[in-house]
Amino acid sequence: MQESNISAGNLEQCLKCNLCTLVCPMMAVNAHYPGPKKAGPDGERYRLKDPQYYDYALKYCLNCKRCEVACPSGVKVGDIIQAARLRYAGHNLRDWALANTDLVGSLASPFAPVVNGVLGLRPVKTLMHSWMGVDAHRTFPAYSARKFTAWMRRQDQSAFRRFVTFFHGCYVNYNYPQLGKDLVRLVNAAGYGVHLLEKEKCCGVALMSNSMGEQARRQGAVNLASMRKAIAAGEEILCASTTCTFTMRDEYPHVLGLENADVRPHLFLLSKWLYQKMESGELSLRFRSDLHLKIAYHTSCHMQKLGWRNFTLELLKKIPGVEIVEMEQQCCGIAGTFGFKKEHYTYSQAIGGRLFDEIGAARVELGAQSDPGFVVCTECETCKWQIEMSTGAPVMNPVSILALALA
Amino acid sequence: MKFDAVVIGGGAAGCAAAGRLFDAGMKVCLISAGLTMEDENTDPWKENRALAQRGVTVLRGDRATGAVLEGDRVLSVQTACLDDEPLCARVFVLATGKFFSRGLLSDMQRIYEPVFGADVAYLPGRENWYDPDFSAPQPFLGFGVKTDAQGRVSIGGKCIENLYAVGGIVAKGAAEADMDVIVETYAGK
Repeated sequence: MQESNISAGNLEQCLKCNLCTLVCPMMAVNAHYPGPKKAGPDGERYRLKDPQYYDYALKYCLNCKRCEVACPSGVKVGDIIQAARLRYAGHNLRDWALANTDLVGSLASPFAPVVNGVLGLRPVKTLMHSWMGVDAHRTFPAYSARKFTAWMRRQDQSAFRRFVTFFHGCYVNYNYPQLGKDLVRLVNAAGYGVHLLEKEKCCGVALMSNSMGEQARRQGAVNLASMRKAIAAGEEILCASTTCTFTMRDEYPHVLGLENADVRPHLFLLSKWLYQKMESGELSLRFRSDLHLKIAYHTSCHMQKLGWRNFTLELLKKIPGVEIVEMEQQCCGIAGTFGFKKEHYTYSQAIGGRLFDEIGAARVELGAQSDPGFVVCTECETCKWQIEMSTGAPVMNPVSILALALA
Repeated sequence: MKFDAVVIGGGAAGCAAAGRLFDAGMKVCLISAGLTMEDENTDPWKENRALAQRGVTVLRGDRATGAVLEGDRVLSVQTACLDDEPLCARVFVLATGKFFSRGLLSDMQRIYEPVFGADVAYLPGRENWYDPDFSAPQPFLGFGVKTDAQGRVSIGGKCIENLYAVGGIVAKGAAEADMDVIVETYAGK
């Protein structure tokens, strides 16, 4: 393949075909965004000459990587844009607070009921909207009073002989421990014990999107060091979130310059690990037959880039009595912290509009308008917030659906 | 993952092949590098989606990177995203098109087919690949994989029994696979 040359991100291979521009979700709704070709390989030629050519409209990039998936020439369009933002863009206090999920989560968690209550108050929302620039339409995901790690410490896993290591991520730890509990239950049912990493930091995706590359690199190095220990002990690393998985597999080397070739093959999304173990006959799971779920499956952007959605779909199909409709593979518009910023809210909702309509149509198609058995399934936590807010439909990670279906 | 047929390439030829095999009752996987376009009427992306809705496993935004062969048979192909999950099948259809879709690649000396390393018919000598007169018929547009009378691809001069080619990847004048023959040979068994 013609993929080796001297510049980062393969920029010389760009033929200016504009396929990336055609698939860019932001391009379709925002005339201020120059588009992936111009922001990426084209702009990079200028920026290499003089950093003054950095265009602040690059902040509109969702980092969905659809441009890279579409590129016939193997140009890392999204990585070029992301790297430029890390090098040239700044951040304000709001961006800092949104990006530091670990720190904010640790501070908020002990006071969860108060914090959740206060953040939901209309005057507080109005204040945050006008002072901090966090859009008033958004509600922060509720913090959990008890962290996942605290729960996990009390789980006796000593009865197992085989183990995996679970990278839980910030969302599971501070906001939604139930997803982590579901994963532990599922993996335990499969005959494996669960360990946590010796030290786990946020994967850094929010830091990268908010131009805090140095901190992301430090956190990434901590994660990789802990993962290497787990892998040396013969354990695979499992994640429940496509974003954490994708960031640690691909953005660490491409954007942060963290070498991870030894870790990468051991870093799994739960569905991939489970599918491969079940197919090879190493384990089997029994599912109940009375779960009549109607599932609309949404492929998150990072799942699209990972290309692993069939693992999830094939696993879900193993549950008797579920009906699955696949949504068209398009962006929901939130893109992590992006959609929380008030200057982005309208773009965010415009991008997601077609998906929301499709979910509504699927609900009708499945005959589930008033059926509690209808659920949208996706592996990305921020897609979950966006879809729940915008459609009212409940959204579940496939890990939780599979755990629910265990016999 | 196991299928009856894997079609490599989600353009017009690949979509038609996948649809035909699926209709014959086969379990089909279509590897398509394309993504959704804003314009839903733009073929073949629309066709990819229609196939997925009918039940073809469409790996969209992925591309085949290599294959495992045993003797004169293909056992499986790998893709960029599924590098540790071989796609196994009894029959494979190569429909990756020509240069822009990366069905054929070139360097200074040669033109080659990157997935299987299939035999490619082309003129030796780079100066013979093109005509400096831009509007003249360009020889490189006729280059493509060599096939036998049934449209089967060869590697190192040896015909590969279960690897067929259709569409732009086939060299000018060479036979494309007849889908009816593939269905007759592989469906319902």
